[in-house]
Amino acid sequence: MISNFITMNGYGLYVWLSFSAVFFSCAVVYFKTKKTLKKYEQEFLAELQTLTLEEKNKALESSKVAQQILATSLKVS
Amino acid sequence: MFKFFSSSNIYLLIQKLIKFINSIFVLILVIGLTFALVLSPPDYLQGDSVRIMYVHVPSAWLGLACFSVITFLSVLNFIFKIKSFYFINKSLAPIGLLFTCLAIVTGSLWGKPTWGTWWAWDARLTSMLALMLFYFFYILTFKLLSNKELIIKVSSVIAIIGSINLPIIKYSVEWWTTLHQPASVRIIGSSSIHSEMLLPLMVMLLVFLLYAALIFLMKYKTEIIRVKKKNIKRN
Repeated sequence: MISNFITMNGYGLYVWLSFSAVFFSCAVVYFKTKKTLKKYEQEFLAELQTLTLEEKNKALESSKVAQQILATSLKVS
Repeated sequence: MFKFFSSSNIYLLIQKLIKFINSIFVLILVIGLTFALVLSPPDYLQGDSVRIMYVHVPSAWLGLACFSVITFLSVLNFIFKIKSFYFINKSLAPIGLLFTCLAIVTGSLWGKPTWGTWWAWDARLTSMLALMLFYFFYILTFKLLSNKELIIKVSSVIAIIGSINLPIIKYSVEWWTTLHQPASVRIIGSSSIHSEMLLPLMVMLLVFLLYAALIFLMKYKTEIIRVKKKNIKRN
């Protein structure tokens, strides 16, 4: 039963290679995209830190996105 | 109404959608793989090699769908200059390229046991290769050019020229004698695929759609942050 599942009646090499190629490529793209997103979030926060308190408050008041990024980073830390 | 489509609200919506997809994705993936690799029956002619269909067909469909959306939005962006369409296209193109490459690779792996060859310069295969090249050049415009107006113009031209290839891909199996089989699943009219294979195919399509949506949302979110970062600098 298990042997049949692995060999797929002689087509195992092609079936498993196809599924592996899809799984591996999708995983690589997922982790690369996630890493880039994190990098930009960190850069955004670093940029926010360079502002004076007044400028920072102004930026946070005017931008929900800035508030969200800051909230997410605080949750993580 | 228009306030809802502000980048801040879209950002919040994207975060919610990413969380939702993350919460259901693994479950649907496991169901899809169980159907595709265990429960679905082997084909009476192709045997178990038919299981490659469950990754090959959704990949090809998504590769075509992404380019269709890119073309449609490029035309609209060319006329109306809507900023968010530029970012949507920029986020969609790598996903389309990924799925087109996967359709070609898995098609080749399916071709060897069924046709006896990895590759043939057949109408369907060649037109899919052309689609991959259009994606490649489309993405290259974002990487090589720095002027946004020029990027919109060049990428729109590539998308519009590339869209001529879409009906060629679709009807290549009917217009020419090809190794590739004709479409088994039809939106209009009856499908020639048995329901025991159609159900796993639809579940796997859902898995691929969710994955594509997840990557798109993450890429679009990155673009919003990139713009906001520039705005902070300006202020």
